[in-house]
Amino acid sequence: MNLDWTVIWDHRGAFVAGVVNTVLLTVLTMLVSIPGGIAVMLLRVSRWRVLRAIGLAYVEFFRNIPLILLVYWVFYVLPVMVEVFLPPFATGLLALSLIISAYNAETFRAGVNSIRQGQVDAALALGMSYAQVMRIVVLPQAVRRVLPIFASTWVSLFKDTSLVSVIAVDELAYSALQVRAQTFRILEVLTAMAVIYWCLGYPQAKLVDWLHRKFGVQE
Amino acid sequence: MEIDLSPLVENWRYLARGLWMTLTLSFWTMVAATILGTAVALGRIYGPRWFRPILTFYVDSTRSIPVLVVLVWTFFAFPVAFGITLPPYWAALIALTLHITAYIAEIVRAGLTSIRPGQTRAALALGMSRLQLIRVVLLPQAFVRVLPPFGSQLAITVKNSAIASVIAVPEYLHSTATLAAQTYRPIELYTTALILFFVIIFPITRTVDSVYRRLAHLGRS
Repeated sequence: MNLDWTVIWDHRGAFVAGVVNTVLLTVLTMLVSIPGGIAVMLLRVSRWRVLRAIGLAYVEFFRNIPLILLVYWVFYVLPVMVEVFLPPFATGLLALSLIISAYNAETFRAGVNSIRQGQVDAALALGMSYAQVMRIVVLPQAVRRVLPIFASTWVSLFKDTSLVSVIAVDELAYSALQVRAQTFRILEVLTAMAVIYWCLGYPQAKLVDWLHRKFGVQE
Repeated sequence: MEIDLSPLVENWRYLARGLWMTLTLSFWTMVAATILGTAVALGRIYGPRWFRPILTFYVDSTRSIPVLVVLVWTFFAFPVAFGITLPPYWAALIALTLHITAYIAEIVRAGLTSIRPGQTRAALALGMSRLQLIRVVLLPQAFVRVLPPFGSQLAITVKNSAIASVIAVPEYLHSTATLAAQTYRPIELYTTALILFFVIIFPITRTVDSVYRRLAHLGRS
């Protein structure tokens, strides 16, 4: 078996573009899914039963289906149903955002619920307005509790972006598989892909561990 | 847009085989990953000192590499590296097990370390060997305590089994994609797949949680 690692360097453009798109997809999905998650959370805790049911159904549905299947569904079925045709990148972004919003909604809800009702009552008794209670008492504490779980979701999302390669979104996995198809240097290209993912993901995984140690809630 | 369910009805045997493959692949992955994951967890806590960093490195690496990459590498690159061709099913089983094992190891390790050290000391003081301590005292309690995260992991395993479709394992998503390409009926087929996967995955965590509520007292100490 003779290995030829120069193919990696020769196709560095494809790998760099893949990394850029993977990072871009991760960041954009999170930017959409934070407001998305807050919106779904507000549905979940709404005063009206219908809205609560919609929020619950959204969360339970999107947390219990495989992402890769949703990617296919958004790619093949949604355009026909609503007659809007999105480019692959936007399709991938939409599929990822739908699922991550559901996870974020549960994370945020758990964060807000973890602050004891007594604190809210006390703050209200001190004469704070409801907005002040949220801004000064509840949210600063909730953010610290949410941070470790949010970071875990971030790392899962980073890895899950690889799944939109099935609809030809030009991220790292897709770029690498394209290079493999062009050069037939299967072992070199796929190993390079795994190493690049490792280099990007390993520091993130370690950062998550650190956040869990620093902010994790001990029962 | 008209709905035509005939491709589903006509090919129900083909789809049923896909569904069976999804279930068996998930099941055997989970069985293998539970055994190996428990071994990795025990290795990380009680293994020789030089061996622990290797296991930690394995677990942390798995957490940083997408399962798709592991699947594709095992199927395409492994045969080139070692000269052994793996059929898609075995490649998927190996890759998924390699991936899920790390997560199970973390779950079991959390369960084991949550048991108070006083119990270990008491067991050793009673004259139990290390092996007896683990087998009789620690593992039975740990397994009960980790049931809820174990249930979540089972649901994740079924979701991940769908990714095996990229290396042409004939599981349900792959059967759906093949039929959709043949019959030009992606709407009915993919929507059915979405509902079917939800129906499989949704009850898993519920069932495991309700089993846990019955057994929780066994893990308390």
